[in-house]
Parts: sequence; structure tokens; C-alpha cells
Amino acid sequence: MSLETILNEAKQSILDIDQEKATAIAQQALDEGLDPVKVLTDGYSVGIREIGELFSRGEVFLPEMILASEAMKAAVEILNSALEDKASKTVGKMVFATVEGDVHDIGKGIALALIQTQGVEVIDLGRDVPVEKIIEEAEKHGANVIGTSALLTTTMPNQEKLEAELRKRGMREKYKTIIGGAPCTQRWADKIGADAYAEDAAEGVTKVLELLSLST
Amino acid sequence: MDKYFTRMGDGSGVYMSAEEIKEDILQGVKDAADRGKIPELTAEEMDYIFEIVTMPGNIVGVERGREVVNTSDSGSCKMTYHANIAMERSTSVLVSEKVLGADSVDIGNMDYSYKAVKQIVHNETPVMELAQLNTVMPVLYGSMPNLGLYTKPDGPVDNWSELLPMAKIDEARAAQEEAVEHAVRDMVFVAGEMYAAGADGINLDTCGASGDADYLASLLATEKIKEKYPNLGVEFGAAGEFVLGMHGKLEYEGTRIAGLYPHKQVKLAEKAGANIFGPVVNTNTSKSFPWNLARTVTFIKACSEVAEIPLHINVGMGVGGVPMTEIPPVDAVTRADKALIEIGKADGL
Repeated sequence: MSLETILNEAKQSILDIDQEKATAIAQQALDEGLDPVKVLTDGYSVGIREIGELFSRGEVFLPEMILASEAMKAAVEILNSALEDKASKTVGKMVFATVEGDVHDIGKGIALALIQTQGVEVIDLGRDVPVEKIIEEAEKHGANVIGTSALLTTTMPNQEKLEAELRKRGMREKYKTIIGGAPCTQRWADKIGADAYAEDAAEGVTKVLELLSLST
Repeated sequence: MDKYFTRMGDGSGVYMSAEEIKEDILQGVKDAADRGKIPELTAEEMDYIFEIVTMPGNIVGVERGREVVNTSDSGSCKMTYHANIAMERSTSVLVSEKVLGADSVDIGNMDYSYKAVKQIVHNETPVMELAQLNTVMPVLYGSMPNLGLYTKPDGPVDNWSELLPMAKIDEARAAQEEAVEHAVRDMVFVAGEMYAAGADGINLDTCGASGDADYLASLLATEKIKEKYPNLGVEFGAAGEFVLGMHGKLEYEGTRIAGLYPHKQVKLAEKAGANIFGPVVNTNTSKSFPWNLARTVTFIKACSEVAEIPLHINVGMGVGGVPMTEIPPVDAVTRADKALIEIGKADGL
């Protein structure tokens, strides 16, 4: 099977929400000696982005979205096994949390899955995470990037609190920060002093890679 | 080049050129037409939106004779929690009518969900009775269906927000279906008590906030309320511009509920027997007010064209073209009102 066909099949397996096909294609890609990062980036990730877009338009629903993510996760696991031997493929570390007071993490889960496909080690801190815990985990894991998500106008101030707390501890220059979530905007990022804002999961991937290139 | 003051969807002020505003209006219209699969506004209508956006006054108004009725959901609480004026709710209703000129208002509890309210409905009915004795305008009782409250640990049903991430789809769907039964029972119960207390109507506020099962519960409750209390009006207010598919397969009268935009949502509300439908169009905080307004008017016009019951558009924080701010700016609110009434053909706000 040609690279182009594999990429197309990988994408289609996600759009069809066909986990069996997704894993079979991942294995076939490895058997044929294809670059797993390319298969993830140009195949499965394209599929999950398209599903995400359909979800945001009300044309695909949450159960399908979850199942598509599961199919992607299964394929990623197979491809990751080939990547694990190649330490150079890990381009950086990121801790990622939904801020305190906010229990929304569907969007974070999608962003996290996509960012991982790019060789970034992402430590998912879950939801409703206090600022102190985020910093503690970033320190513990030696993260390069701290990502926070907020879906409510009432919880957004915790993203500002994180920036202030990092400054207060003299650690602001140590990390790159990125924010996201429905009420967040680039202006909000600028106002609080975050390094980046991502409107959606796909943009999150690009922005995190940009931040990592700046931090190394 | 002249620049006009307007706003972004997060409320921040911005100066835009005429060309930039016109382009945003066009793109907002196209986005709505594409997502909703509905007709675009005409060139004349887009020109009129531009005119409304760039009118010099801080506030604008509709032409004489085109005024519509306005109501306020959870209106009886807002003076207390927005303005910090300690006021008993039936007094607040009087102020709404006699001072602010409201055409209708609903009484609601601070714990604004039918599940919570059923426990204390005996404390709620005297407030309604008192308000009814002193007012002329219709006074409704409002609350949210809020299906999420029926999940563990707050309620008896398995929590689908925990089941879905574990890919337990069938279990999550079964839990939602079970919750629908509980929610319908509570809404009908509270409606009955309020009917006995003299309420003019019941406001099912933010139908679909917990997804398509929440929406289905609201439709079924509307059916039962109208069957048991035909004289009690039902205002059916939506939660979002499309119904979120948390379940994805639920149907009402043969129509799948998930993914429906306002012009299709209203038809289901009509079938269920609702008297008023309150459509919602969400504000995108990253886009400009002209973009959001044009997009909203496109959705609402399409909804008005098919609706056979009055439409009272949700116009407030983060909906109806209005920026997402704690206190919506009056320049944006009045422009949204004017455009929604004069182009979108809204019956009320």
C-alpha cells in the first residue's frame, strides 16, 4: 500500500469510527517501515480534526466523538511503540490542566491527544486543578510548557492567577504558557501575559510546537 | 479612512473601517448559512446591519410602531444578585412592571432548577400568588430542566459525564434516558403547583443545556403540561444554537434532536405545544460584534420564517449577538435588539 493510501485509510478509519481498521492500518504502516510520526500527523490527526470540526457544527455527536478518540488512541498506542525507542522523537514536555472550579475536560482531552501525536510528552493533570498543584506538577516533571483550559468566564481568572503565581515565585521565564477554552481569546492571553492562545485543538498543536522551539 | 467604534465578542472596544465591518457582516452571514443550511441575508439586509452597527448614537431604537414585548428570565432574582438590592421577589416583579416597563417576567428561585425547586415549591407558590394579585402583566414561573442534576452524586442516575470518557456509550445513553423520566415528572409537578398558584405560564429555561436528552425531557414535559393544564402557557427557551448530542440518537416525533439549529428546534417546540419559543445563537468571543450580529440575524430570520408560534429571542450575555460580558454593553444590546426585530422579525426579546 502506498504512503498516500495508508494516510488516507488512517484518516478514514477515524472518520468511520472504526477502531479495528485504525489499529490494522497502524500496524501495516509499521510493517511497511513508514514513518510513524508522519502517519499520525498526516493520517489519524487529520481524521480527528475533521471529526472535531463536524462536532463543533452539530453534525457529529459526543458518543461518536468519544469513540473516534478511542480509535485514535488505539492506533497511537501501536505507533508509539515504534517511537518509544527513538528518544529524539520526544520534542518536549507539557503539563495540561483544566483550571480550578472547572470540570470541563472534553476539549482538553482532544487537544491532549493531538499534541501527543507530535512527539510531545503530555502529562494530563485532569480537571479542577488548583494553580499550586499545576506548578508543583510542572516542577516535578520538568515541563517546558504549561497548558490550561477554562470553559467558564468565572474560572478564567485562574489562568491569570497562574501567571501571577509564576511571576511571584520567580519562575515565569522557566515555562512557556498556553491557554484555551471557549471564553478565552488572544486578547485575554495578552492581558494576563500568557505566551500563547489556541482557539481549538488543531491550533493548540501548532502553538505548542512553536513554544517548544522557543524554549529549547 | 473613517473608523467606527464597535466591539469584539468579548466586549472589548475596537475601531473598524467600513470595509472591515462589511466583510465581517458578510462572513457572519455565510457562517450561519453554512452551518444551519439556511438562506443568506440579502444584500439590502446586510447593508442595513452595517447601518445599524455604524449609527452614531450610543444607543439605538426600533422605528416607531415596531416595538415588541420583552420579558426577563429569572427576572425576579436579577435585581438582587446583579444590583445587590435586597428585595423580596414579588416586589422585584412589581418594580419590573411598574418602574422598568417589563411586559412579562418570571419568578425563579436562586437554585434555578426544577429538581431543586420541587422540594420547596410550597415556599415558591405564595410568592407567585402575591405577585399575581398585584400585577397586570403575565407572570411566569421559570427554572431549568437541568438534567445533569439527576446524575450521581446529586441524583439517582449513573453519571454519563463519567461514563462517556470511559467509552461506556450504551450505559451513558441508558442513564440519560432514565434521567428524562425523572426530569419530566419534576417539571410537570412544579407546573401544576404554579398553575394552582395562578401563574400565567411556565418557563422551561435553557432546554438542552445538558444535551439532547435534556431537550427531549423539555418537549415531553411541555406535552404533559399542556395536556393537564391547557390554559397554562409554556415558554420554551433553548440553551444553545444547536442541540448538543450527548446521547445522539434520541428522537421526537421521528426527528433526531441532536444537531438541530433554531429553525428546526422551533418546529419540535410547536409540536409539543409550546406557546413561545426562545431561540439562542451563541456569541463567538474571538469575532467582532458585526460578525456575531449578522450571524445571529441570519439564524433568527430563518427561524422566524418557519415559526408558527411567537419567537422571543435570547438577547443577553453571550447570546443573540451580544458580547460575552458580565454586564452587556448598551451600545451592543440596543443594536442587536434593533437588528433582530427589524430584520430577524423577532416577536419579543
